[in-house]
Amino acid sequence: MSIKIIKKGLSDSIQDNGRYGYQHLGIQPSGCMDIISAWLANKILNNDLNNAVFELHFPSSQLLFENDYTICITGANFVPVINDKSIELNKPIHVSKNDILTMFQPIEGRTCYIGIHAQLTDPLWLGSHSFSKETIQKDVLINFKANNKMDTQNIESNKQLIEEMQKWVFDHHAPIHIIPGPAWTHLSNVSLNALLTYPFEITTQANRMGFNISGPKLTLTIENNFLSSGVTRGTLQLLPNGDIIVLMADHQTIGGYANLGQIILVDLPRFAQFKTGQSFKFELTSLENANQLYRNIYEKFQH
Amino acid sequence: MKIKIQEWDVYSLGDHAIVFSLEAKVDTNIVQCITALATFIKDKNINGIIDIIPSYHTLTVVYNIVQFLNPNTNAREQLTLFSNNLLIDFLNQHKTKTKHQNSIIKVPVCYDIYFGLDIENLSVAKNISVEEVIKIHTSTIYEVYSIGFLPGFTYMGIVDEKIQMARHEKPRMNVLAGSVGIAGLQTGIYPTNSPGGWQIIGRTPWNIFNREETILTKFKVGDLVQFYSIDKNEFDKMNEHK
Repeated sequence: MSIKIIKKGLSDSIQDNGRYGYQHLGIQPSGCMDIISAWLANKILNNDLNNAVFELHFPSSQLLFENDYTICITGANFVPVINDKSIELNKPIHVSKNDILTMFQPIEGRTCYIGIHAQLTDPLWLGSHSFSKETIQKDVLINFKANNKMDTQNIESNKQLIEEMQKWVFDHHAPIHIIPGPAWTHLSNVSLNALLTYPFEITTQANRMGFNISGPKLTLTIENNFLSSGVTRGTLQLLPNGDIIVLMADHQTIGGYANLGQIILVDLPRFAQFKTGQSFKFELTSLENANQLYRNIYEKFQH
Repeated sequence: MKIKIQEWDVYSLGDHAIVFSLEAKVDTNIVQCITALATFIKDKNINGIIDIIPSYHTLTVVYNIVQFLNPNTNAREQLTLFSNNLLIDFLNQHKTKTKHQNSIIKVPVCYDIYFGLDIENLSVAKNISVEEVIKIHTSTIYEVYSIGFLPGFTYMGIVDEKIQMARHEKPRMNVLAGSVGIAGLQTGIYPTNSPGGWQIIGRTPWNIFNREETILTKFKVGDLVQFYSIDKNEFDKMNEHK
């Protein structure tokens, strides 16, 4: 019971909630870039939220189902096509043995998820199925053991959740919220003002490790050279050239550049869906607000 | 959240981590204190703490928001209370403890120019013989200050000033697993083949990172390490690299 990769995508992988507990050994947590869309796929399929999903970028891998499955595609809209029939996003879809799934065209977003109503039987590594910087290769078999066929009649129950989460993840106008980090106070006044006033843009240098963004060049009042210390996903590191790199799911565990602050967890899925050239602004928020928002979203997935 | 208890600074790192920090120095007492706090927290098995990352003078504690924080109390106050109590407990318990008694891990290194791609350049730049470079590198007991960059990459110090050298301006495309390098006052071992800019002076036959769950890495932060020189034949006999 498996899914075969018949054409390799640019940088596709299997992900789940990530591999925490090993960062002290330099092992990065990985996990889904847009966890909200991944959760949504699993929720729609009645799966455990941590069930392994395909994470696709464009151009995407082409998948051949060697078994009947129920799948659900969420996140970016790459116009998914089964054989030659286009299928809907955010809905359980039955696929049959020998069906081929192709992603046709990147219309919206950067990262697409395919949830499978099945258990990945490939071995876990350190408690997680998340690929750790590897990508899915051609001709590989991904072994999913299908659960009982899913009843797709009664799917109205998730309608509101889907709408709310779509709105949240694909709102390109909302600011990206940050909490100041240890090097915040070392920013020059001009830079601090620029960071919170001017728009930034996603560059072509963006992958699962980090997104380089362009905008006003920022400077510190001290030398940008720190003893390496722990970083988290969403960390804004100031590079020596005055640009910012935002650390993403496959980030290194430690960093020695100025740590300006962190994008809050609930805004990372939206940020992860920004395409090259997307512009946005940063806005400060509080720890309190960030925690409350996270809890609200998390709880929406619990029933 | 930002507090100070004795010499410790504690602050939030975004919405799901806190950092315990001492003076920003490459210093044996500081890193020992950081690793002692890491062990102290780990042994408490606190629900919701998902990563504890020691590195030089900081300890970063990553938590799961839903598991770690109580929704009915102010997050900032909870984190302040947690850090306060934790540090007070820790400082009380560790008042009496002094120096660590870690055993020294003896690591074989072949300094042959076949592996030590930069050892001749380094000896010329520092105006000492290659033999002298090896003698100095093997006579210091290093301490592991941090692990990162790659899974298992080991940052150690402090390198004798006589053989300190800055990184290459342009990193090599591929440095072999086990390569031992120098970057400023640090010496380190590459766990896997990767691009890298350190001055490579030799290679250990040890495989220092293994995906096997029970092994993973040969070192942890706070370990003491001393290198010893082996020749190419011995290297081949001990070679764990595939």
